[in-house]
Amino acid sequence: MDGDGGGARGGGGIGARVRRKEDARHLAGRGQFTSDIRIAGMRDVAFLRSPVAHARVVSRRAPAGADLLFLDDLTGVGEIVTRSSIPGYKLSSWPVMARDRVRYVGEIVAMAVAADRAAAEDLAERAEVEFEPLPPIASCAAGRAEGAALLHPEWGDNLFLHSRFDSGIEAVAATAPVKVELDITCARQVMHPMEGKGVVAWWDHRAGMLVVQTSTQVPHLIRSGLAEVLGIPQAMVRVAAPDVGGGFGYKCLLQPEEICVAWLALTRKAAFRWIEDRREHLVAGANARQHHYTLTAYANEQGRLLGLDAQVEVDTGAYSVWPFTAVLEAAQAGGNLPGPYDFRAYRAEVFSVATNKPPFAPYRGVARPGVCFAIELTIDAIARAVGREACDVRAENLVPGSAMPYVNVTNKHYDSGDYPASLATVREQIGLDAFRAGPARDEKGRYLGIGFATYTEQSAHNTKVFAAWGLPLVPGYDQAQVKLTPDGALEVRAGIHTIGQGLETTLAQIAHSMTGVPFENIRVTLGDTATTPYSTGAYASRGIVMSGGAVSRAGEVLAGRIKAIAAHLLQTEAEQIEFRDGRIHAGAASLDYADVGRAWYLRPEQLPEDVNTAGLEVTEGYKPATDNGVFSYASHAAKIAVDPETGIVEILDYVIAEDCGRMVNPMIVEGQTYGGAAQGVGTALFEESPYDEQGQPLASTLIDYILPGPTEIPAFRISHSETLSPHTAHGIKGVGEGGAIAPPAAIVNAINDALSGLGVRITQIPATPERIRAAIAEAQA
Amino acid sequence: MLPVTLTVNGERQQLLAEPRTHLADLLREKLNLTGTHLGCEQGVCGACTVLIDGVPQRSCISYAVDCDGAEITTIEGFDTDPTMAKLREEFSAHHALQCGFCTPGMLVTARDIVLRLGEVPEARVREELSGNICRCTGYVGIVGAVCATARGCAPRDSAAPIAATALAAAAVAAPVETAAPRAAQPLTGGTSLTETIAIAAPPDQVWDAMGDLPALAACLPGAEITEVDGEAIKGRMRVALGPIKVAFAGTGTVSLDAATRSGVLRGAGRDGGTGSSAEGELRFALTPSATGTDVAITLQWRLTGALAQFGRSGLVADLVRRLAAQFAANLQARLAGQAPPAAPAALNLFQLLWAALKARFGR
Amino acid sequence: MKPAAFDYARAATIPEALAALRDGARPLAGGQSLGPMLNLRLARPGKLVDIKRAEGMRAVALSATSARLGAALTHAEIEDGRIEDVTRGLLPHVARGIAYRAVRNRGTLGGSLCHADPAADWVTTMAGLGATMIARGPAGERAIAAEAFMLGAFTHALAEDEMLAAVEIPRLSPAARWGYAKINRKTGEFAMAIGMAVLDGPLARVVAGAVEGPPALLPRAAAALLAGETPDLDAELAERLPHLPPPERKLRAVALRRALAMLSEAR
Repeated sequence: MDGDGGGARGGGGIGARVRRKEDARHLAGRGQFTSDIRIAGMRDVAFLRSPVAHARVVSRRAPAGADLLFLDDLTGVGEIVTRSSIPGYKLSSWPVMARDRVRYVGEIVAMAVAADRAAAEDLAERAEVEFEPLPPIASCAAGRAEGAALLHPEWGDNLFLHSRFDSGIEAVAATAPVKVELDITCARQVMHPMEGKGVVAWWDHRAGMLVVQTSTQVPHLIRSGLAEVLGIPQAMVRVAAPDVGGGFGYKCLLQPEEICVAWLALTRKAAFRWIEDRREHLVAGANARQHHYTLTAYANEQGRLLGLDAQVEVDTGAYSVWPFTAVLEAAQAGGNLPGPYDFRAYRAEVFSVATNKPPFAPYRGVARPGVCFAIELTIDAIARAVGREACDVRAENLVPGSAMPYVNVTNKHYDSGDYPASLATVREQIGLDAFRAGPARDEKGRYLGIGFATYTEQSAHNTKVFAAWGLPLVPGYDQAQVKLTPDGALEVRAGIHTIGQGLETTLAQIAHSMTGVPFENIRVTLGDTATTPYSTGAYASRGIVMSGGAVSRAGEVLAGRIKAIAAHLLQTEAEQIEFRDGRIHAGAASLDYADVGRAWYLRPEQLPEDVNTAGLEVTEGYKPATDNGVFSYASHAAKIAVDPETGIVEILDYVIAEDCGRMVNPMIVEGQTYGGAAQGVGTALFEESPYDEQGQPLASTLIDYILPGPTEIPAFRISHSETLSPHTAHGIKGVGEGGAIAPPAAIVNAINDALSGLGVRITQIPATPERIRAAIAEAQA
Repeated sequence: MLPVTLTVNGERQQLLAEPRTHLADLLREKLNLTGTHLGCEQGVCGACTVLIDGVPQRSCISYAVDCDGAEITTIEGFDTDPTMAKLREEFSAHHALQCGFCTPGMLVTARDIVLRLGEVPEARVREELSGNICRCTGYVGIVGAVCATARGCAPRDSAAPIAATALAAAAVAAPVETAAPRAAQPLTGGTSLTETIAIAAPPDQVWDAMGDLPALAACLPGAEITEVDGEAIKGRMRVALGPIKVAFAGTGTVSLDAATRSGVLRGAGRDGGTGSSAEGELRFALTPSATGTDVAITLQWRLTGALAQFGRSGLVADLVRRLAAQFAANLQARLAGQAPPAAPAALNLFQLLWAALKARFGR
Repeated sequence: MKPAAFDYARAATIPEALAALRDGARPLAGGQSLGPMLNLRLARPGKLVDIKRAEGMRAVALSATSARLGAALTHAEIEDGRIEDVTRGLLPHVARGIAYRAVRNRGTLGGSLCHADPAADWVTTMAGLGATMIARGPAGERAIAAEAFMLGAFTHALAEDEMLAAVEIPRLSPAARWGYAKINRKTGEFAMAIGMAVLDGPLARVVAGAVEGPPALLPRAAAALLAGETPDLDAELAERLPHLPPPERKLRAVALRRALAMLSEAR
């Protein structure tokens, strides 16, 4: 199905820059987030969290009569155990509160319940817990050291997984004339959705069900996970996500807090609430991005990349998250490091090291911001080694458009697009050639530089890909339901959720394109296990491809049924029917959608004899023609100024040329890209959750953890191309994560370009003023 | 609970509130005005911004009782406001919101920018918006929407001056001689520092004088040794860093080596309030000098828990440095047979860090 | 997080406020620094007394040589020029760089000074201006030189039963020039370094701020400025700030050079 359905393009359909359906309630302050839900008698929960990184829990005691619970009080609750089919993967068992050990600062030790949050926090402070310190593992190096203390003693080491890929590198290594070596470090980060996690749970006596309203990207998965850990049938659990104030991956996991609060509701048959505060997020949620790369790249004298030999360490934290495991990051780090480049010799060893830090989770782009940073710095390093313009070397190494479809060295199936063309676009827009002819420093004495990065974003990867990553839950068909109401409006239901990415709008656009029902008469309901068809949820840039495809297919089927009824009412053939201007036409005659709705529901005597008795309600499933995912891509270019005295970097200009196939709503594509890129700027220059050698997190407030604001984020400029995917409905590809991938690479390449005359090479992010000043001082020493 | 009277969105409300309840929680939990969002409760993110007496303020760090008598306008209170209507229109047109969580605070700030400043350059709009964090949009649409709303708008007439009276005689404080502080070695890793003090007495005499442990501990402001049993000691250390006041109670050990004329005090303690723990070590060694004895003192410390989890370790280092200087001065006075110099007001005020010693965390 | 419980009272007068302090209450002004510490349960006062509404705390008095500003005036009031500026634009310039507008609307001059964060603006500004802190205590008024007010990080020279009532700021002459350079990573964040210089006829003051302790006056640099010579900032900083690692000292020198450069800019 590659057409745009029966509805006109534009006018609210696919490709239209329509305003969002989500906006009005948020602008009025009438959105409903988890913490806004009010249930009579609801009590608040606060958690006591471990102040130490690694310790044995020697004793624990609650004051008499206090509603303060430890793990043993949670009868019937299992632990979070995430299996994987990957050979060599080691299982962790994550108790929802500390059992005999704590393994990171912020791990839950006790749960306090009171009339309000302040009182619950008072109570949590009264827990008496005795810890006996164990040696903390605060880095990958510490975790892999000879004789290191073990987080999970039964493992025998601290590796969740040691994975290898080898296509054969020796021949290239022996003969390549150019060899560059890099040591690259990415900081640990928090994802920091503006709304933290939160859960409200209660017992619905009428339905005989546990109802859990939780700030999640994946309500259907949470239902499965909760039922499993609580040991109850899934039919007894309803999970719904209200308005979600940003997810970015943080909310695609089953959280211990969700289990604890759900247990209270289940066992006490009452309502309970936990709302994550910012300190909890910064301390217990520091769970993303921390990679370390040791790279050797081989090239010819022109800078053509011939081979790459990589060692990667992922600082994986203490436990494996459910359902994405502790090693999704490693799988992507090893698998995606070759990036958009055309070379055939690749060896990678990836160590997923268990450390005394919060469990690693997939943050927007998953491993790709790290691998993009690593490979793009490598390309620039090769260009320097051969004395050529990095942009030229990059262009020559990219998979050319003529090679599409292209299967790369790690078996990624790049389906379509012209990567060098996107690079040429940003090169022209950032004005590289004029810049090279101009001064190297500005009037303030700052060094100027331009950097580039090109990446692919595997989106909507599906069954085979997830199965290869060994995940316990593998997405297959996503489903959606469309229903014409008796008065001619359209209801769309899908189990995926909207977390800011505007699916209430874009799914309505697709439904409009397929059925012709006016955009404003389409209502989209998402993310509730009781009212929506199954979807594994919103992650991996899959929503618009998977749920969009399902809505498209359901809409197509519904359109046929509408046409059949309309043709009968208009005394014509279904082939003569067309949807136009919000009405149903056949020649000069036309009908309202309400006429069709009324006929089916209220005036069945008007229906044709052979009417499809399934009616005007259709549920359909969708999976793209390929299981390998479809690849969006983009090139980014940054022009920056570095103040050599302060180390402060200003982004002077930032351009993006992206291609995500057919854009359902260009405004939303741009919003996703800008937002992702802003997070990428944070990764590049600001955001860091440092730990001391004792495993104490050193950024527990927003004074310590710096988020970029409006003066730190540039006015991004964007251009689009639309290479339709051959494999998906309407040629759509995913776009939610991509913006976050390239900025660290583009910005740091620009910094190194600016400071090349000083001999400075930054290979660590964030590139803070301290690090830049230190690098300059070192280069000058 | 204290009575609080507020006018919220034009309606007078008489409520009871705990003094610790911040305005945002009062609005959200008592009045069900849930449009005011809590993004950090640290005064940084701006999601909770409301108008208090007509100007934007953070409702998460304004306590309800401290707003008694004020007029409050929340996002729900602008339904008939023409500037807000225009902003809402432009926010939607410019895709200035995605998840919507920062939006209410962003709008309250944006409205103030438009009304107060009128049309200003984009760079100024960005600067004025910088107290509101958005994680979704990259600010592109927000900046565009605010600029579009403000286009053609004049700034508000400058606010009325605050009336001044005549000042009769100026108070003049004596200028301060800025003596160079005692030299200290640069901190390595921010967790230890060394001071050396010179004493005009031979090492043996100094060593003898240092044997009195409680008296030695008393030289460290805030420290108190309550029991000495062989090498084991019990004690307490009070420390204050501004409004943060903690008392670490714990036990420790002391070992003295007469041969090398050196000693080590080690200990660990826990503060019940913040749940933070401290471990510390004070080493001293005596060496003969031309004028008598040099006493080298090294302080090392390690914090765990809430107090440890900040990036600005320099602040704790400054505190410890002042402690060490005070310890050195007190010890010098004591060895010279004098009463310790009066501690400066601040050290009385903000007693001190660390000390009481060894035991495992939590005991 | 929510604060640990505390009591709260409002003082209508300064004596009332002092009585509360004597009874162990801690002063609350705008609360923009204290609030986060309360919410994080790091600060746990038993009782707070609101001193910002006490009579006289928002008073402004002017003379030919100085201005006396009540400690409870807000940063925004200074920023907006609602108080006659005797510093040729310096105070409004500094005020606009403090945190964010919503914080400036509630945060006060005195509260910021008494919070005594080394990286905050007013402690350095007042030391650079040679201002005088007016403390009120049981024994009446006491004047403290601004450079002696802050003793260390989060530590000031007031006793527990004293409060800061006002700040007296010397009036700069029409010929006066100043420079104020703040280096920070992000708008509104605390400074990594502050440099400040004031040159007004025979008076010159040069001060390094955000030095993890009290701001450091550099009298030799000031003397050099008066003599029309280039000050040796690095040597004087090394002497005054021995505890700072050399790269950190270098950053303060950068801020100072930028402040000195501003002296010659037209304003």
